Amino acid sequence: MKKKYLFESTSFLRSILLLSLFVILLIGGFTYKHIANLKDSTEVVVKTYKVNVELEHIISYLRDAESGYRNYIATKDTLYLRPYLNASEKVNSSFLKLKGLVKENSEQLENLKVLNILTDSLFSNFYKSNVFVKNDETNTEAFRSLYFKEKIIIDSIRRQSKTMFDLENKLLNVRQEDYQSDSQFTPLFFYSVLLVTLIFIIIAYNKISIDLKHIKVKNDQLLIFKEATNQSEIIGKHGNWIWHIESNMFAYSDNLYRLLGEEPQSFEATFDNFLKFVHPEDVEKFSKDLDKMITVEELPITNYRIIQRNGSIKYLKTYAKSFYSDNGQKRLIGNTSDVSYEIENILKLEEHNLKLERNNKELSAFNYAASHDLQEPLRKIQTFISRLEEKEGNKFSDSGRQYLDRIKSAATRMRLLIDDLLQFSRTNKPDKEFISSDLNTLFENAKQDMAEIILEKKAQITIDTLPKVTVIEFQIQQLFSNLLSNSLKYSQEETVPIIKINYSKVKADEEPDLIKATKSLYHKITFTDNGIGFDQKYTDQIFQLFSRLHNKKEYSGTGVGLSICKKIVDNHQGFIFAKGEINIGATFTIYLPVS
Amino acid sequence: MHTDYIHIILADDDEDDILFFTDAFDELKINTKVNTFKDGEELMNYLNTDKAVMPEVLFLDLNMPKKTGLECLSEIKANDKMSGIAIAIYSTSASEEDIEKTFVLGANIYIKKPADFKNLKKVLSEVVSINWQYHTNSLNKDNFLLRV
Repeated sequence: MKKKYLFESTSFLRSILLLSLFVILLIGGFTYKHIANLKDSTEVVVKTYKVNVELEHIISYLRDAESGYRNYIATKDTLYLRPYLNASEKVNSSFLKLKGLVKENSEQLENLKVLNILTDSLFSNFYKSNVFVKNDETNTEAFRSLYFKEKIIIDSIRRQSKTMFDLENKLLNVRQEDYQSDSQFTPLFFYSVLLVTLIFIIIAYNKISIDLKHIKVKNDQLLIFKEATNQSEIIGKHGNWIWHIESNMFAYSDNLYRLLGEEPQSFEATFDNFLKFVHPEDVEKFSKDLDKMITVEELPITNYRIIQRNGSIKYLKTYAKSFYSDNGQKRLIGNTSDVSYEIENILKLEEHNLKLERNNKELSAFNYAASHDLQEPLRKIQTFISRLEEKEGNKFSDSGRQYLDRIKSAATRMRLLIDDLLQFSRTNKPDKEFISSDLNTLFENAKQDMAEIILEKKAQITIDTLPKVTVIEFQIQQLFSNLLSNSLKYSQEETVPIIKINYSKVKADEEPDLIKATKSLYHKITFTDNGIGFDQKYTDQIFQLFSRLHNKKEYSGTGVGLSICKKIVDNHQGFIFAKGEINIGATFTIYLPVS
Repeated sequence: MHTDYIHIILADDDEDDILFFTDAFDELKINTKVNTFKDGEELMNYLNTDKAVMPEVLFLDLNMPKKTGLECLSEIKANDKMSGIAIAIYSTSASEEDIEKTFVLGANIYIKKPADFKNLKKVLSEVVSINWQYHTNSLNKDNFLLRV
């Protein structure tokens, strides 16, 4: 975007410059032409002036000749004939000059010819009348008619020269008008062209200053970016490098030196110099990865160790990608980061995990073994009790009988506890198979397990159609059967237990309970009963192992069943919540993630 | 070959259980002859002798010293002479794992030792009166574990 802008700007400036150059050339051309015109006009004026002068000359010569001639006629003194004799020569030379001056004007040439004829006839008239003067025949009719004719010719000459004079003046006027309009128009033209050029130059200047401002801003940004990169490299513990493959030239960023434990730019950036830091055991792998990079042009992330000069070992991670410059030069741009902290943490975490796993395994093995091995002696105790009761029962006193009953119920309770514990430890084992299962079938199986007590209590169970979900089958069946058993066990006396199981698919963000949800969609299954319920303040306690809200004598729970439910739901990345109201009932809500 | 009584063998290391077992058969008044062995090795040694009488039903505890019930089971099923014996697993626990393993190895029924003597008698009488031919044909994972 910016690049395009600058490109457009450059071509714009170039065209402005070309345009300005063209305008200056144009002005030069016009100026030259105008000066030439001016010169022409001056020449025309001069010429007109010369023509007029020559015409004046001719007239004055002729006038001199005429007046001399008149004096000659009156005095007969031949001295007065000199101007007359000189006139012919002078008029002729003036004619030649005039001919040269008006040679480009055919009308004037024609006039000149007429003038020439007129002067010629004047001179021939002179000669003819002169003869009369010499012979002193001035009183004759012929002389008088010649003299009269002479007067007429001179008038004609005057008129003719006046015509030529007028014509020349008229031409001069036309030229002057031309010149005037020329000289009026030219400055205006110059001025406007100069103005336009000036505007162009101002636009160009404006453009250049805007560009400069842009470049300055960009430069500033680049500077900030560079500094930010520098800082982020220091904070993020990474550095970058460029490898110009053809010229085998390297450049490291300052922080890459720091990662190696060296001062920035303190040694020449080369491949071999870098290799000196790589841990001897990792050199081979590192080199192999670099070879791969040259062939695949993209270095797979490579992890290796380096040894700094002070002997400390660091874990580095490098990634690089090749780029081609505008002129086709291949360059590899890489990023190397110090992951020592992370790796040390991972190692620590792994160690912790291993320890935890071991502890967990031991615990669950202990739990399983304990509950499993406890079964055997307990079973024997129970069997012996049953033998004692059967064989020797009638030999006991009343209190003895009572003690026996107490032993029996204690043993029964212990069996219950052991069975539940065993089940709890089984739900702990991680190696369970998740398969897509029809929850309806699992619920039916659970119901089957409870068939006897359902029948006994005449419980009414209604259920929505459940979905197919990927679960650990036996655990979900266990979950259903524990919840059913819970509702049946804590039913109100003299009331038919009603258990409703509802199902809906919900979005996590629409359920206020699901603030810790990791998935977006959940299957929501609720078990609602009309049993004795519980105080809402025990809602969390209810899922704790061995936690009981009721007296053992009233209700026979072990406090394990709901813990198992919680564990099962946890195993499925789900959630379980309990809501209760005393003597109204309890609701258990299960959320299982939609796979 | 005597046909007037049912020949039964129990291999179990627990003296109390042996006592319950023999007492139960005594009280059941079924014409049975019960042989007991204290561990798996003793049992196999007996079965491998020429004079050994193959029982109608062999009750096999799983957790025994020297040779476990599982080892005995696989040896018996691998032996042509013995493979016809109906084998009832007789164990304290009924873990999924044990049930699965013994079923795969070819045991005929799995009994979890009852905690009540009356129940014990009921279970044992049921087991000895099973028609093994019929039972084995319809045997599956669900009816493998005997429920009382």
